[in-house]
Amino acid sequence: MPRPRRAQHCCRETALFSMANVRHLILLLLYCDGMNTETTPSPPSDPVFTTRKAVSKGQNQVITEELAILTPQNIELLCNLTDIPNNPPNITGYWAKDGQEIENSEETVNRINEQYVLKKTFSIQARDLGNYSCIFRENKAQVTFVLDVPVIKDKRDKPVVSYTRDSVVLECKLKYTPNTWNWYKANNTEKELINVTANPLNYKIFNNGNRTKLTILNLSEEHSGKYICSAVFDIKPSESYIELKVLSYTEPLKPFIAIVVEVIVLVTLILLWEKCSKPQHDSSSAGENDVCSEQTTKLTRDESNGVENNTARRRKLDD
Amino acid sequence: MMEKPKKTQEEEQSPPQIAAPDGGWGWVVVGSLFFSSALVFGLIRSLGVFFVEFVQYFGESAQAVSWITSIGLAMQQLLSPIAAAASNVFGTRPVVMLGGFLSGLGFILASQATSLLHLYLTMGLISGIGWALIFTPTVASVMQYFAVRRSLAMGLGFTGIGLSSFAFSPLFQYLVEAYAWRGALLVLGGLSFNMIACGAVIRPLGKPNVVLKTENSSKLNKCSSLLSRIYEGFELSLLSHRGFLTYSIALTFFNAGYFIPYVHLVAHSHHIGFTEYQAAAVISVTGVVDILGRVASGWFSDLGKMRMPHMLVVWTGLLGLSLMLIPAAVVYSGLIVVSLMYGFCAGAMTPLAFAVVPEIVGMERMLGALGLLQLIESVGGLLGAPLSGWLKDHTGTYTVSFIAAGSFLVLGTLVTMTLPYFWSCMGPPPPSPPKRKSQDGSIEGGLLTQTLSSNSAPDTLCPLNDIPYSDKE
Repeated sequence: MPRPRRAQHCCRETALFSMANVRHLILLLLYCDGMNTETTPSPPSDPVFTTRKAVSKGQNQVITEELAILTPQNIELLCNLTDIPNNPPNITGYWAKDGQEIENSEETVNRINEQYVLKKTFSIQARDLGNYSCIFRENKAQVTFVLDVPVIKDKRDKPVVSYTRDSVVLECKLKYTPNTWNWYKANNTEKELINVTANPLNYKIFNNGNRTKLTILNLSEEHSGKYICSAVFDIKPSESYIELKVLSYTEPLKPFIAIVVEVIVLVTLILLWEKCSKPQHDSSSAGENDVCSEQTTKLTRDESNGVENNTARRRKLDD
Repeated sequence: MMEKPKKTQEEEQSPPQIAAPDGGWGWVVVGSLFFSSALVFGLIRSLGVFFVEFVQYFGESAQAVSWITSIGLAMQQLLSPIAAAASNVFGTRPVVMLGGFLSGLGFILASQATSLLHLYLTMGLISGIGWALIFTPTVASVMQYFAVRRSLAMGLGFTGIGLSSFAFSPLFQYLVEAYAWRGALLVLGGLSFNMIACGAVIRPLGKPNVVLKTENSSKLNKCSSLLSRIYEGFELSLLSHRGFLTYSIALTFFNAGYFIPYVHLVAHSHHIGFTEYQAAAVISVTGVVDILGRVASGWFSDLGKMRMPHMLVVWTGLLGLSLMLIPAAVVYSGLIVVSLMYGFCAGAMTPLAFAVVPEIVGMERMLGALGLLQLIESVGGLLGAPLSGWLKDHTGTYTVSFIAAGSFLVLGTLVTMTLPYFWSCMGPPPPSPPKRKSQDGSIEGGLLTQTLSSNSAPDTLCPLNDIPYSDKE
């Protein structure tokens, strides 16, 4: 009985589009079936439970499934337990939300084909989102379904840095396409909606399905802070924040000037040291080491040639 | 220690064959090469951090952004002959200092860029010109300063690249996070200015070649003097030198295959199923072994047991072999072993590829030769990576690319074996009295060099004589 109801609900919108085509209809049914297995781990996901063999020995293991909920709906959650030692004819299990046992949810499950199937339908509205667990009393096996709006995953742990009078692009993206995107600037505990029409010179928002980009032009130091992108779904909006830091140009200038000063000092020292050690050599050599005296080198070379080795010089002259 | 022999050499032969000091201030110049190669090639290798930022900020594709490095590298290689010519005319020190200034300037201007084109012009063009003016003259200076321990000096100098690749990636990441890419580029420009100091350190060992040559010969016509200065500056006479042409072809082949693993090894590791961390570990291991290979090869080659071209052939042959073995390594440990071999051989080959140039063309033409070689071998680099990418696209795996790279190296090895004087035990004989008009002391100078060098040849089975131009103390 629950099956047709479930199929009806989750596929209601899509069924309207493709009634005309039989092929589409078959695909549609397959699609719906796929959706069902998404929300309920059924026998094909047994591998999830084969690890339970260890659990039945008395250890507590929690298996977690994450489900993204976009619209208020009725969901049937199904837990399938296999490979219990002793194979009792029936076992009891109950459901819990966020760790608290749901009243009157305890059921006795009969063994069917070496499996125990515990299922329950929940009506999920915005306030009903949370962690739903099915727990089997006897061997404390547990599966937790995390029902939540899609989470914006790629959070940067470091703030985005930009400069005054520059522009910056802040981006959020999701796996699912929300109804719309909103951007807020956080002032302490308050959120202030960023209104592009009121401020077209400073802000631009570009929404493209499952991504959104906020461009802030003409940055100033007041623009620093937390920016919240909000993906609005039927059930509840999903939010994430990005931190922006606006620096003035003097910030990187400090290390830069430090390095340039260091270079100037180094070069001066090197050239000075060379000039200082030149007088030592001047008496014996032409000082070819010094690039500055290249013009005078020819003259002084001949001089010192004579000083150093008269025989060679005489030989040259003789030829 | 440096001054006297230098003087003796100089006065007895007008061709400027200056004795390499082989130590002393030479090690400071090696340090200059260390920092220069770190700040040029280490910097280029770590620019990937910025590319992510550029893609996001400018909204361009990764390929458009990668053109920045391509332009920079192309400038560095294509302008090498000009850098060599300028050094021949003005001396290495002012050229390198100007190069340091330009490379820093490029980055500083890039920090103000408002479009990708600005980045091409500043980071690519201006900094590329700066890098060209730095690299070739610095390498040539190290080679002028060392005769016996040339390869070791080169190997040590080039370790700068390997070490900076380790240090710069996290540093750049930190700079980008603290100051955004604009501030980071500004700071990097400042860092590049340190190469001005590196240039200042390179004390000239004598007057630049062209100045000496024009002094030595009498010129009647100013116009022909300028043309001959250009001719001498670029060492265009090398284009008719058989050894030089052979070696440039060999180097082009080497270049075609050399960079392919750097580009494709990570992708290949992913392709055959290793995780990101495993692939990164392979690259790191290769990098470390590369540094070791440079130093070890430099030290071993200077021991003099084998002639340098022979050693080069050994290392490049092994390198080609290891490249061809990479696709055969399916197990992780096998891939590590082959990568170790590849890294070591690649590192070992580098100092020798430069240090063998004076043996082929002679010390005086070495600077021009280096410049021209960089220009010619850039063809190999430009063709190699796209070719292997094309091969991968057509065959679906990297196997053929690696085999092609390995075969390029083997081809280069074979070409190297056709170098003049390759099959002889002795190196090329010392230069005959120079063709230029020069003072009469030259004949004596030539003879003197010959006696000096033959006296100092070590008494081994195959007397090593690869550096007949300088005299050992």
